[in-house]
Amino acid sequence: MQTPLADESAVSSRVSSPPPAMFGATGPMLKQFDQSTASSRKGSQSSTPPVSVFGIGNKVAKPDYSEAKIVLAMVGLPARGKSYLSNKLMRYLKWLEYDVKVFNVGQLRRTRARQQAQQAGIRENHTAEFFSHNNEEATRRRDQLAEDSLEMLIQWLKDGGNVGIHDATNSTKSRRAKIEARVAKEKGMSVIFLESVCNDPAVIAANIALKVSSGDPDYKDMSREEAKADFLRRIKEYESVYETITEPHLSYLSITDVGNQVTVSHIHGYLQSRIAFYLMNLHLKPRSIFFSRHGESQYNVEGKIGGDASLSTRGLQYASALPALITDNIGDAPLTVWTSTLQRTIQTAQHLPYTKLTWKSLDELDAGVCDGMTYEEIEQAYPEDFANRDEDKFNYRYRGGESYRDVVVRLEPVIMELERQENILIIGHQAILRCLYAYFHNLPQADLPYIKIPLHTVIKLTPKAYGCDEERYMLPIGAVDTHRPKPAASTQPVVTPNTTRDYFGTEK
Amino acid sequence: MVAPLYTTASGLLFHAGKILVVTVGLPARGKTHISRALERYLRWAGIKTQVISLGDYRRKVIGGAQKLPPDYFTLGEKSPETMALRKSVADGCEQIIWNFFDSGGQVVIYDANNGTREARQKLAEKFDKAGIHVIMMESVCDNVKVIERNIRSVKISSPDYKGWNPDKAVEDYWGRIRDHEKYYEPVEETTWPFIRIINVGEKIMVNDIRGYVQSRIVFFLMNIHNRYRRIYFARSGQSLIEHSYKADSDLSPSGWEYAERLKEFVMARRKKSVVEKPGSSRRLVVWTSARRRSHHTAWPFLTADVAKDVKVVEKPQMSEINPGVWDGLAPDQVKKYYPDEWERFVKDPYAYRAPRAESYHDLCVRLEPILVELEREQEDLLIIGHASVIRCLLAYLIGLPASEIPAIEVARGDLLEVVPTSYGVHSQAFHFWDGPGRNFGDEPGEPGKDENNFYENYAEDTKGKRKIGYESEN
Repeated sequence: MQTPLADESAVSSRVSSPPPAMFGATGPMLKQFDQSTASSRKGSQSSTPPVSVFGIGNKVAKPDYSEAKIVLAMVGLPARGKSYLSNKLMRYLKWLEYDVKVFNVGQLRRTRARQQAQQAGIRENHTAEFFSHNNEEATRRRDQLAEDSLEMLIQWLKDGGNVGIHDATNSTKSRRAKIEARVAKEKGMSVIFLESVCNDPAVIAANIALKVSSGDPDYKDMSREEAKADFLRRIKEYESVYETITEPHLSYLSITDVGNQVTVSHIHGYLQSRIAFYLMNLHLKPRSIFFSRHGESQYNVEGKIGGDASLSTRGLQYASALPALITDNIGDAPLTVWTSTLQRTIQTAQHLPYTKLTWKSLDELDAGVCDGMTYEEIEQAYPEDFANRDEDKFNYRYRGGESYRDVVVRLEPVIMELERQENILIIGHQAILRCLYAYFHNLPQADLPYIKIPLHTVIKLTPKAYGCDEERYMLPIGAVDTHRPKPAASTQPVVTPNTTRDYFGTEK
Repeated sequence: MVAPLYTTASGLLFHAGKILVVTVGLPARGKTHISRALERYLRWAGIKTQVISLGDYRRKVIGGAQKLPPDYFTLGEKSPETMALRKSVADGCEQIIWNFFDSGGQVVIYDANNGTREARQKLAEKFDKAGIHVIMMESVCDNVKVIERNIRSVKISSPDYKGWNPDKAVEDYWGRIRDHEKYYEPVEETTWPFIRIINVGEKIMVNDIRGYVQSRIVFFLMNIHNRYRRIYFARSGQSLIEHSYKADSDLSPSGWEYAERLKEFVMARRKKSVVEKPGSSRRLVVWTSARRRSHHTAWPFLTADVAKDVKVVEKPQMSEINPGVWDGLAPDQVKKYYPDEWERFVKDPYAYRAPRAESYHDLCVRLEPILVELEREQEDLLIIGHASVIRCLLAYLIGLPASEIPAIEVARGDLLEVVPTSYGVHSQAFHFWDGPGRNFGDEPGEPGKDENNFYENYAEDTKGKRKIGYESEN
């Protein structure tokens, strides 16, 4: 087991209890200071001086991402995991607050066909013949669909989007050249191609099985065998014209067997390199991610936020009960436990018979000047600020501390590492687990600070192709409820794990 | 992010085990440049790393090219004496690699041509058997201009060409390359994990890279470039409460004055640098932390006269080192209430983390994404930061050992200019301001130093200042 460099410091001997935080919001000091210095803030010669600092925090605007305008065009044969990669990437970038949308040509095709069927009663043939390059009429229609979807994507970027993912096969050089030429006409937009190659027959077979068994409307009236045979024929049609991406001038990323081999060509720009690195770190091995908050702490009992308190008696009970729960669940499979550097998570993990690592990045949201106070104390001392935070928690940064957005930025490397790892149990904190949970379930920022992560509960997430399955295990050990619902709102986020594929693009 | 901060029983970081990075490539393909950059990065992350260069070793034990038998570099038939000599050089160099691993080293970058499949295979097998992860790192370049530039700027100043006419030396070096080309086999075998870098990062191919440190290496290599640019550093202006992290206070009146002065000085300096190096029109990007004192110091850059070629970005990861529960306390109080912690802090200000605080190592971990972004940036960059943050970034750029980071001097009122060059950086300090908040108590009538603000600057104040970019350094 590893010893974190500095965790002993918390338990070393002390001559007397330490002095209170100098600039906490508990006493009158902060207010007096803010008042006494009001005049000195007029030093700015700028015609629009910045807003003065006072109180316990303020709302912070979202960073300006308006310069980011990227067309990400997928390349690859059917059943090579293009939609999987698109969806993963969308989830990641949305979590980082980029505006991302997937434009799936297959969805557009099905939606239009459905409309046609409903309105005119004509049912278009979407079996393998439709995808044959000898079928001129169908080829023309497929080209049209790809172009229409690209136009929709470009319009969406113009309207303020950041990354539009063109989820189509884009399997020939000439098709890619067309996309390149079209995007080049738009100022400030750039295109990267993302090729997904898969040589592992087992993965292809699994993708095909998923495709024919998951209610694809293309195969509505077919038996599974028929569907499979037709889909294999469709793949063959594409294979006959497929040209792997090698165009030396294009900006592209080619991924073989989900990250096993990666080629990165002419990838410039910050966001582009982030995307490349993210995709390199993905893997498909089955695994689960477990989240648990630390056991109930002394501060939880007292209703205080922040701090570095140790566990309450009930919290210690939870720590003792946790190993059996985890071991029953995971059996002999290897598991690594991550904790923060704070005592309460380390104590909660103390009996777990697995490798344990501490991460500074997993420490709880820093409440700055409010650290160690109860919500009632904060409300009493700073009623307006308090109401402000309740109203827009994601954007609210505690003075001398953090906002939820700051925490997301801090956790980005953790997500990256989590994607690379296999079975992981994170013993974390409420705000931290909310942020991580929102990533795995693709929840919007506004709902993120209100996600329910109760004490003494283990949440098990199992990543699937298009989302995560979730199970919750509650241990019958009482604990205080630290959840504060969104005031005056009925919009408690409801998570219904959704791991099915969206065939029409109509959901959400 | 360099992630979990912990040391394993073996002293190795990140559970990554030991790694041998074998460089592969014809001469003058930038192998040394890449090796040195990688070494700097990994060392900064706290990983014991060493570049071991076959060429340097050969020159040390035998001497320059003039002392070598004529068939030393031609790869065809060789005399038995030359064969023996080459083998002894390679064996000796390998021994150095083993010695470094045995003495607790974690990553070795073996800087040599390693141009044949057979030689690579033999080398890799040997280390693989000992449980060391082997990665091939190939640098390929087919751009003659880039190669020629590399030969002229680096190779002909090597001791091998001491006293040569430059053009003759270049010609000779091209000859050496041609000899290698005949036998060169690019890394196509997928037996070992590899990274292939084509035309200085234009294209990168990666095969079977696993593991945390390995993936960091790839990400780093994806982001470095060698275009000309300048990086400036300046402290934020004086604030109303210098000694509190939590108070996140506004600038003081002299802090505002400082901010204006900084803008004027930077803009003037940029004008001058265009004269020094014409033909460049890079934008200025300003990074600040999310702290008021830092962001407000950048405020004058938002004014209309300069805003069109300046972009100000706030980075929440760039806050100063967090002093934890010691925030706002004077050293005497800390000594009284936290005697054991104080002792450990004084002993090792780099690695020690006060209660709920960050160590300088924690800060480096937090700043790692910023550092990669800094490498990637192609515009000129001004970082208006806190002393601790500037120390960490400077240490990386200059290549200082991690233990020296806390003592680097970063004076308010100086602008540091850092220009990356092929094997390192050139740094220069410009003094532009002498107001309150720069000097403390040295002269009569000056305000005394805020002694409660010690956590960030303790090592600088007590261990002697490590000066960067002043004439004495050169």
